[in-house]
Amino acid sequence: MTTATPPKPALRRFVENLRDAPRRVRDSALRSGKANTDRTRSTFVFDNVFLHVHPVRTHRWSLRWSSTWGLGIASLAAFGVTLVTGVLLMFYYKPHPSAAYDSIKDIVYVVPTGRFIRNIHRWAANVMVVTVLLHMARVFFTASYRAPREFNWLTGMALLAVTLGLSFTGYLLPWDQLAYWAITIGANIAQSPREVTDALGVTPSFDPGGLQKFLLLGSDVVGEEALIRFYLLHVMILPMALAALLAVHFWRIRKDGGLARPADVDQRVIDDTEATYPVFTQAPRKTYQIAALVRGRTAAVGRAPENTLPSMPHLFYAELAAAMLTVAVCVGLALLSDAPLKELANPAVPENPAKAPWYFLGLQELVSYSAFMGGIGIPAIVMVGLSLIPYLDRETAGTGEWFGGPGGGRVVAQAALVGLGAALAVEIFAIRFGWLREWIPDVAQLWITLFNPGTVLAAIYAAYSVWLVRRYDSTRTGALGLFTCFLCGFVLLTVVGTHFRGPNWHFYWSPADWPAH
Amino acid sequence: MRRNKHLLLWSSLATLALLVTAAAQENVLRPWRRMQHAASVPIDVRLRQVVVPALGAADRCVSCHVGMATGEPTASGDPTLAPHPDVAHDPNTFGCTVCHGGQGRATDADDAHGWVHFWPAPMLPLRNADAGCGSCHTHLAVTHVERLREGQTLVERLDCLACHELDGRGGTTRPRSHVLDGPDLSRVGARGVPQHWYEEHLTQRTTNIDPAWATSFGPISESERATLEEFLASRVGAPKLVAAKSLFHSLGCRGCHRIGGVGGDDGPDLTLVGERDPGRTDFSHVRGEHTLANWFAEHFRAPATIVLGSRMPTLGLSEEEIELLTHYMLSLRRSDLPDAFWPTDRVRAERLGQREFATDGATLYGAFCAACHGTRGQGMRFAGMTPFPAVGSRDFLAIASDDFLRLTIEHGRPGRRMPAWGVMEGGLRPAEISAVIAHLRDLGEGTGCEPDGQPVRWAQGQVELGRTLFAQHCAPCHGKRGQGGEGLALANRALLAAATDTYLFESIRRGRRETTMPAFGASSAVRPTLSDREIESIVTFLRSFEVGP
Repeated sequence: MTTATPPKPALRRFVENLRDAPRRVRDSALRSGKANTDRTRSTFVFDNVFLHVHPVRTHRWSLRWSSTWGLGIASLAAFGVTLVTGVLLMFYYKPHPSAAYDSIKDIVYVVPTGRFIRNIHRWAANVMVVTVLLHMARVFFTASYRAPREFNWLTGMALLAVTLGLSFTGYLLPWDQLAYWAITIGANIAQSPREVTDALGVTPSFDPGGLQKFLLLGSDVVGEEALIRFYLLHVMILPMALAALLAVHFWRIRKDGGLARPADVDQRVIDDTEATYPVFTQAPRKTYQIAALVRGRTAAVGRAPENTLPSMPHLFYAELAAAMLTVAVCVGLALLSDAPLKELANPAVPENPAKAPWYFLGLQELVSYSAFMGGIGIPAIVMVGLSLIPYLDRETAGTGEWFGGPGGGRVVAQAALVGLGAALAVEIFAIRFGWLREWIPDVAQLWITLFNPGTVLAAIYAAYSVWLVRRYDSTRTGALGLFTCFLCGFVLLTVVGTHFRGPNWHFYWSPADWPAH
Repeated sequence: MRRNKHLLLWSSLATLALLVTAAAQENVLRPWRRMQHAASVPIDVRLRQVVVPALGAADRCVSCHVGMATGEPTASGDPTLAPHPDVAHDPNTFGCTVCHGGQGRATDADDAHGWVHFWPAPMLPLRNADAGCGSCHTHLAVTHVERLREGQTLVERLDCLACHELDGRGGTTRPRSHVLDGPDLSRVGARGVPQHWYEEHLTQRTTNIDPAWATSFGPISESERATLEEFLASRVGAPKLVAAKSLFHSLGCRGCHRIGGVGGDDGPDLTLVGERDPGRTDFSHVRGEHTLANWFAEHFRAPATIVLGSRMPTLGLSEEEIELLTHYMLSLRRSDLPDAFWPTDRVRAERLGQREFATDGATLYGAFCAACHGTRGQGMRFAGMTPFPAVGSRDFLAIASDDFLRLTIEHGRPGRRMPAWGVMEGGLRPAEISAVIAHLRDLGEGTGCEPDGQPVRWAQGQVELGRTLFAQHCAPCHGKRGQGGEGLALANRALLAAATDTYLFESIRRGRRETTMPAFGASSAVRPTLSDREIESIVTFLRSFEVGP
């Protein structure tokens, strides 16, 4: 560069810069230019604040749809949809009993596309509950909770709890009859330890149930304190908690070595190179290895990246596809079905039956037999049991495989039959013949607390699981059986609670048979 | 990879299509937009509403019923766009739902009219529109239906309609500009009938140069004037509601039903029955549409088939009466109003204690007594119930003193159907009870009860003789222990406390004509005549019911 170009006039430089501005904005934003080589694909990932939680390369096994069915991303996408629509709804919603219901009516009737946004919000919330539950089932059935991913299983359980909390707190906000009485039922479930403290006669001095309900409602009944409390939880505390837990959850996926894979995964994945972007399209100036050291045996450590593909674009297309499909489902459902809005809440006119949100109807079914066991006892046992699974199951066989472990799919199918059969049998028995209170009218409540359809069902499941452990000499098999049983029981009880229970929680074949008010 | 790309593409396109569909549906294709576009006169297409913060009204009804908002052009074409008929209340000051019901915030026809699940206050049917007045107004001093009819007849007979318009009739036979075109009287009662109308009419008659005055108006007697004024006071712009309320207060419904704290307790309190939520009403035995109006109509046709186990008798009403009673039921509603919106009639009724029914004896008897004792006091019989006494019987009135009647009305008959009507119970004031007693005397064609100068208790017969005679002559109807049967229960301490010995004695001796109670003192072919001493013994025996069973 010896020949000095004559300096351009300032005006021309300005025009050229102006012309180049869009390109320069793009380049400065993306830092490493177009992602068309292996190197730029890598920098695309770790130079981006939103993407850098991903690995730059992803194992083929993890990219298969059947490995995850995209359920985690679907949950995240549903959360994103609720977040966006929720913020839009917040522009119009007024969290006070005197204004809440009218503001929802205004959203439905006057706010441009308000009804639609509310529908999306409601459907995305329900989709999120479903996908989170399915995601959990996927992780369990593929034995992906095992070391080193135990803690992420716990994070996931916390996320499940927050998800249910978000959905439950949102339920009250419309301040209609449905909301009011569902929350009343929910708060009474929280109060259910009273059944035991009452039976022991210690309620006046020790009343954890009452305290729980009071903390939830800020009052003895559902009123304006409860509404503002639920609102705050719904729009601020729980979303922030969820975001924080999500960060941990994603970060741990990465740090725990990506998705769980079978030990012999490299022999299983067929290399269909043709269908992928070429690897090493140009000589690397630098070898990019995994960005951080991870614990345990993972595919990437100390190995060449032979069975991996660049995350950009393979992983991101998969993730975007799963997310977009979820959005499409939420939007489609929102167009088909309106979110319910009943009459204005009226504390003087109880709904009969008053039903909790659908995902709590299994519990409400158990609560109808024993408030304590249904509301606290059995959920606590389930939660503790689920938390302990990764620490009790230290086996290695079947990790990363559907229904992996001794017995496998056969045990799951059998357990599904046992789970559904036992739940059905207990329900039919209790509906047909009643329970202790009908047989011995003055039986002590504690006996019912200990011995009711819920505990009987739990005991059957536990016994079956113990039998499985001994039969297959494997904790994993017992866990498979138990998890499947509880899942089936949950589904069956939820269906019974939703569809087959009418006024006064009596059994009806269909809501059409309910007696008139 | 390729599959994911396709999935991404198609789900993105699907989302986009759905969003566009929803945006169009929610913004462009709203029915009220189409309605405004269809107007014959081009109007500014936008959401319209009437907002009255004090009444909590945000009524978007005028988005379709554009012509009903002020300052809007009157577009022909769809009748929906027509202006509001002339009413006392400007829809822009009061909103729509406060009178008509329905869901003001809604912008779809069915939702707005309240014909959907979960809207507890659907719109009143158009034929029952003036039942909506009941939300705020309490029409005062409603008279017996016969008084109303007399007034109506008088208006026709005196040819008031030749000059005046009244309830949409009359006043139109001549060109509007005519000198004799009198003012519309349809709402003359709302502000009060002008005090000197009669004198002014008379003056016009003598001074006005138009010869028509001399022929069209003549002197009216004082009693007719009173009837006319009473009738005109009831012309408040809601003729159907007044007729309905009047009918309700002539059939004795309040004998069993309480409204606003006054009435009996055998049936349900009706104070707010018109606000009942159709979604929470049992329609399982109701034929036809599931509206409150139809429920009431079907219920009046045969109460016990709609509410199983109801003791309300089938009243055998005409279809017109059923429609009127239904109308009145729908008007039994009450909206919470800020003080500034309280109409005077409501202030008078709720703050100053003025009655919504006229307090003359005939109206009171019609409102509270007629259902059980009969419109003419002849007594009533309903299937499955003991017969109700004929309180208009002259034989009864001749021996029943005013004090006896007053005690009976005020305290009722504990243990029997007759409730207590005192201020604390049924809610009638002493002056009103006096008016009822006076009306009873009228029913008995002026039969009074002469004081006999005897002490309250004078009978000193033989108890044992009385017991024997009672078992022989009285027990077949009144029961072995006086518990009642075909005849009324005599072992009733309230009755015995109120009744003097003379009353009991004379009841037995003279009997009650037109009822099954025979006169035991008169000679008869079918049973022996009782002597005064024997009757006195029976009275003495009856007194033993007072001390114990």
